[in-house]
Amino acid sequence: MSVIPREEWDKYPDIEISLNVNGKDYKVKVKPYERLLDVLRYKLGFTGVKEGCGRGECGACVVLMDGKLVPSCLVLAVRANGSKILTVEGLAPEGKLHAIQKALLDTYAVQCGFCFPGVILAIKALLDRNPNPTDEEIKDALSGQLCRCGSYLRFIKAVKLAAQYIREGKEYFDESEVRG
Amino acid sequence: MVVYIPRFNVYIPKDVSDALNVLSQRKDLIPMGGGSDLLVLIRSGMVKADTVLDLWPLRKELAYIKRENATVRIGALTTVSELCESDLIKDVRYAGLADVCKKFSTPFIRNIATVGGNVGAAHPLSDIALMLLVLNGKVKLLSKNGEREVDITKFFKGKRQTVRNHDEIIAEVSFTETPHNSSTAFIKFDRRWGHAMGYVLVGAYMQLRGNMIEDVRIAFDSMGNPYPERAWKTEEFLKGKEFSDELIKQALNDVLPKEMKRITDYRASAEYRLDLSKVLLRRALLKIKSRIEGGD
Ligand SMILES: Cc1cc2nc3c(=O)[nH]c(=O)nc-3n(C[C@H](O)[C@H](O)[C@H](O)COP(=O)(O)OP(=O)(O)OC[C@H]3O[C@@H](n4cnc5c(N)ncnc54)[C@H](O)[C@@H]3O)c2cc1C
Ligand code: FES
Ligand code: FES
Repeated sequence: MSVIPREEWDKYPDIEISLNVNGKDYKVKVKPYERLLDVLRYKLGFTGVKEGCGRGECGACVVLMDGKLVPSCLVLAVRANGSKILTVEGLAPEGKLHAIQKALLDTYAVQCGFCFPGVILAIKALLDRNPNPTDEEIKDALSGQLCRCGSYLRFIKAVKLAAQYIREGKEYFDESEVRG
Repeated sequence: MVVYIPRFNVYIPKDVSDALNVLSQRKDLIPMGGGSDLLVLIRSGMVKADTVLDLWPLRKELAYIKRENATVRIGALTTVSELCESDLIKDVRYAGLADVCKKFSTPFIRNIATVGGNVGAAHPLSDIALMLLVLNGKVKLLSKNGEREVDITKFFKGKRQTVRNHDEIIAEVSFTETPHNSSTAFIKFDRRWGHAMGYVLVGAYMQLRGNMIEDVRIAFDSMGNPYPERAWKTEEFLKGKEFSDELIKQALNDVLPKEMKRITDYRASAEYRLDLSKVLLRRALLKIKSRIEGGD
């Protein structure tokens, strides 16, 4: 462990990358060692991207990158250049909640909520390719999402309910409908 | 508190030949596949990196699964997810790879982790490397000066050490298609099902003619060295004999313990690991037999 002198920092170039986050285009200057997590959370302000462990073990930082669930703590920002990112903020239009969010509320799965952005995106990645998953498939899909409050069993119920909403064509709900 | 964030440069090559060129000229480059192993090591300070060579752009050339001329070839930059979604693992002969898929970390790690990186990691708990050992896999190394193929049994030198030269990249792993009266199994034992490292890992391949063991290959996460290795003596003992409970018992009690040296650490004791190795090997062989006979 050491403190890196200021002149040292500057030997690393700024690299401009373009990202499309939640449908909007951004151009950002990044350092080669910066992670997608650093850029999304600290440079662009998408605080739904949480840093839990920073080493691929907790699932708090996951985002969808070109449709695939990836740990943003283990993806260098330069590698994400040109990609389409979805964070939890982009899941539903302004004022609406996504069926996955509604189902998690309906099943009382939310406790502290820290793991939720990751859990929600992991569920989205699952339902996007498998609209009617079995219990086993749900367990595998969520196996990397650690929830210290222990809502695991409710997640399974919630995924099934969300799948049902989506199959019924109810993808988005008005916030008023949910909080009502 | 000072938060230590390791800083490093990244070289992004245009293609394979660009990557090989720059590797031949510079000694400060560390190749990175998915980065699921390397970035963790860099961040924890265990690896000092000056410049990382990002191999991801090479996916254009090195991400594939091909089956031709009785050989299975997997490009080094194929992700574990791509391997797990492929038809290859539906072939009952490679059911052991399907076992790996069920146990390999989590979906989001599988989406970035590569097959080449699993071999390159040279870690005892490298699931795919373990299966390649029992499939008689080969590792193809490319450098500016040409290519060479190394048997995976000769690829590891120590924990996180391989025979790869500094200017080489792992381009492909391959193995010869196995006969139809054969199958494979992989068991990783831990307290939980997903996201587990495993106290003991076993991979096995067996070819049966009726009840006769025509060929058998066995690999553990460790035989004594800190990388996965084959249980050569146990294999020799079993080969050419009739498959029976008695035979397996003999192999487990008289042969395996003589060639296996387990360690004690904070996760498990050596005695427990040895005991588990025996139990899991028996399970793996029974599973393979059942698979060959059409069950699961
Ligand atoms: C949370 C977590 C869980 C994990 N669980 C598992 C598990 O269940 N099973 C398992 O086997 N592993 C597991 N791993 C370890 C790791 O994900 C795998 O070993 C993975 O296959 C590494 O692939 P990668 O492409 O990410 O490798 P990288 O991190 O990119 O590289 C690993 C090493 O190989 C070298 N390398 C990579 N590609 C090449 C190449 N083409 N040519 C030359 N050298 C190369 C790198 O220099 C580095 O030394 C886990 C890791 C994490 C963080
Ligand atoms: S912060 Fe990325 S997985 Fe924990
Ligand atoms: S609800 Fe608190 S961590 Fe999951």
